[in-house]
Amino acid sequence: MTENTSVERGINPGVATRPGDAETVKAARKGGPRISPFGILMLSPALLFLLAFFFAPVVLTAVFSFTNMTSATGITGGAYVISPNTLRNLEWQGMDKAVTESLSGTSITVDEAALSRAAEAGVDPDFLDDIESRLMGAHFEDARSFERELKTLPNRPRRIRDLKLAAEPFGQSILNTRFATRDQAVTAIDAVAPDLTEDQRDAVLTEAYTGWVWTTDNFKRLATTPATGRLLTNTALYVGLTLSIFNVGLGLFLAIAIFYMPKASGSVFSVLWLLPRITPVVLYAVMWRWFTWDDGFLPTLAAQFGLPSFNYMKGSVPTAWATIITLNGFIGASFGMILFSGALRAIPVQQLWASEVDGASRWQQVRKIILPQLKWPILFVTCYQSLSLLSSYQEIWLTTNGGPGNTTNVWALEAFRIALSNFTGNLEYGLGAAMALVLVVVGLTLSIIFLRLFKFGEMLEKPKIEF
Amino acid sequence: MNIKAFIGTAAIAIAAATSGAAHAEDYTITVWSGGTDDNSLYRVDAIEMAADYLERQAAIRGEDLNITIEKQVWSGWDDFKQAVTLAAESGTAPNIIVTGHEDIGPWSQAGILRPIEDYVDFDAWPLNQLYDNLIDVSSYDGMIWGIPQDAEARPFFMSKPDLKAIGYSDADIDALPGKIESGEYTLYDMLDDAKKMQDEGVVEPGYGFAPRVNNGTDYWQFYQSFGGEMVDPETGKLVFDKQAITDMYQFFVDAVEMGVTPKTYLGGEWDTFHTNVATGKYGAWHGGTWHKLQWENQYGLEDFFDNVSFSLIPAGNENGRPNTITHPLVYLISTQGTDDDAAISAELVAVASEPRINALHAVQSGHLAIGEAETTIPFYANDRWASEATEKLLPYANSIPNNADFGIYWEAMFKGLESAWAGTTSVEDAVNQAQATVENGLGDQIIIR
Repeated sequence: MTENTSVERGINPGVATRPGDAETVKAARKGGPRISPFGILMLSPALLFLLAFFFAPVVLTAVFSFTNMTSATGITGGAYVISPNTLRNLEWQGMDKAVTESLSGTSITVDEAALSRAAEAGVDPDFLDDIESRLMGAHFEDARSFERELKTLPNRPRRIRDLKLAAEPFGQSILNTRFATRDQAVTAIDAVAPDLTEDQRDAVLTEAYTGWVWTTDNFKRLATTPATGRLLTNTALYVGLTLSIFNVGLGLFLAIAIFYMPKASGSVFSVLWLLPRITPVVLYAVMWRWFTWDDGFLPTLAAQFGLPSFNYMKGSVPTAWATIITLNGFIGASFGMILFSGALRAIPVQQLWASEVDGASRWQQVRKIILPQLKWPILFVTCYQSLSLLSSYQEIWLTTNGGPGNTTNVWALEAFRIALSNFTGNLEYGLGAAMALVLVVVGLTLSIIFLRLFKFGEMLEKPKIEF
Repeated sequence: MNIKAFIGTAAIAIAAATSGAAHAEDYTITVWSGGTDDNSLYRVDAIEMAADYLERQAAIRGEDLNITIEKQVWSGWDDFKQAVTLAAESGTAPNIIVTGHEDIGPWSQAGILRPIEDYVDFDAWPLNQLYDNLIDVSSYDGMIWGIPQDAEARPFFMSKPDLKAIGYSDADIDALPGKIESGEYTLYDMLDDAKKMQDEGVVEPGYGFAPRVNNGTDYWQFYQSFGGEMVDPETGKLVFDKQAITDMYQFFVDAVEMGVTPKTYLGGEWDTFHTNVATGKYGAWHGGTWHKLQWENQYGLEDFFDNVSFSLIPAGNENGRPNTITHPLVYLISTQGTDDDAAISAELVAVASEPRINALHAVQSGHLAIGEAETTIPFYANDRWASEATEKLLPYANSIPNNADFGIYWEAMFKGLESAWAGTTSVEDAVNQAQATVENGLGDQIIIR
């Protein structure tokens, strides 16, 4: 027996023999960490991918989830707009009416100052002459009535856009003007309503801000919305049933069945079961529609046997559930099948021969020899597939779309709809991100539970005997 | 060639090139339209016609104006709205957007839109003859953001042969729309008739009453039928009318209990719905004015006026009123591109709103006129469907509010309806869930009644 494990020997065979490197030897003996630059170099592509496609999205999701970001606030930041709605909201909040009126005041006056401002802005001098000669000293309540006057002038610009630009220097209103920064907004507010106190101005600016703000409301909403419970139940049901019946159950059955089959028919069989996985998901969903739709294969077949025949995909809650679980399960089963088949081949065939000599039945072989040695692949499939099922929604989206009546909706699909795709076009990025973050947390927690449950640590321990 | 001659030629060449550049104006304008099928391609084609017109106008003025229009249409709404919002975030939004007016609220707040009133003259032809209520629908928060692209109504339809089969005379059938208008014939009378049709074997069980198959503006009509109001006229806040929501959910649950509508109806396919309408399988249903053209052109419905009676959506009870909702699409100008791009885009939209051009869209797609003048154009006026629908339905039409928060209310309303309809919760629980969702999401921005 040597003191190093086979793995350590394989990676760094020269270490133990080099004199003066006692620390490394000690560390190696203990099985402690040794960091090799070459190892890091080899790992770096994987680390980069992990960083770009896992950590960065998770961090972004976490950041988004603490905002009230929607399609109305935009993602990249907001501006300051004082609109009639802003003023109305301020009044509801108890702001003094005099203040809101001072902000909404529009005054358009044709005077020397306005004319010179307009000349500076590059307004056509002939047009300015018209304005000066006909409208000097006039006062208008709103921009529209002023523009109406301007349209009657002989030298008016042909393009209405140019006319409106020419009218701008005469106006004083800040209503519905989009200020890109807070400072610009402050300057503008100070110009029309200099009497505002600091607090009042801050209240106005808060209300006028169109962008997103930090908040924990998303999580409060999730915690208090009654629909959350229903979605969680659906998701647990979907993941649990698909995983146990198909991804592990059927996968295991197929692997063992193929194991005992003659090699040629076994490989044909395994290729057939791979079809759902290699078919593009949209095509696969369309095929399921043909299969379960009103006049599809299954309902037609059922009618032949006098069984209830209807649209199985959307026509009833149990059949809708059966459809989404089966169609997802068929994809997942092949994954288990391949992994378990590989693991089965690794079982020393002498053990099976020996058991047959002892008179063991097939079932006894499966229970006493095969299953105990498949513990690790079963753990892997359960862990990996539960995480991928948790976050998968595209098959459901393309088939039942959560129906009938939202009964097959799951967490991931709802998050997708809220954040990215719904009929009203009101995309709530913040709430959607909060839902996605919940998925990440649930996934991590589940992984830890699985690792504990299957005694992952024990499996990685040094073997007690060595072949 | 000596140097002098070379410099001379070069100078001439440069002068020619720069003078050409001074006159030639090249614009590439993109226009995207949602919810657009083969019948309604004039939504984007009209912009192309307008471009041709503007180019000719410029040519007469001696200017060289070249406008290239890049068109893209989506048949649905989810993908389209996702595309527009994400494109806007990444700075690749189209110049002109054709969408439902309810997007004005969120998109104007997000800074995706330029108010079209800054670029066009609403006092000049053809915008000065547009219907005022449609201009209101295109406005939000004190600004006119868009120009109405079309209008419509969402009628209630009943099968004339099926009505006859349960004892209606021709005179009764003709009087039906009037009875609905006066509130005498309610939604529950309709359910009774649908049940009768099924009992007498005129229509198959579960085909008596076929509402819209998925989420849509249409369901707000039933909320109004039971007395609901979407916006409080005094404060402008959204209104969650608990009684009306309850009655509306209960109505669909009753329809399921009577067996005239399947429990698992929602989430069905449009294709199946249209086929069933065209083949006369349904007793009563509702849809949009534009569906009539689809039924005829794509699904083979014949003799519409002999076979189908149309009216307002009946009142549900004494609190409500018969109604219909118009959901105009609007042309919007995005913040994409320069101010000149926006000015050209807006001019294109104004020209495309010319009554004759808009009538092409209205008649081809079964939509209604956007302005007074359009109704006098013979092409439109001679179209029986367009003119009857304009006359009988449009005066009663209202629209959903342009409020950035309305989407949250809408989603909550429909989710509650789905769960009550499918029987996964009781009506009471569904209403409470919807109420909790809007209270959570909107706080004091919504009035609960």
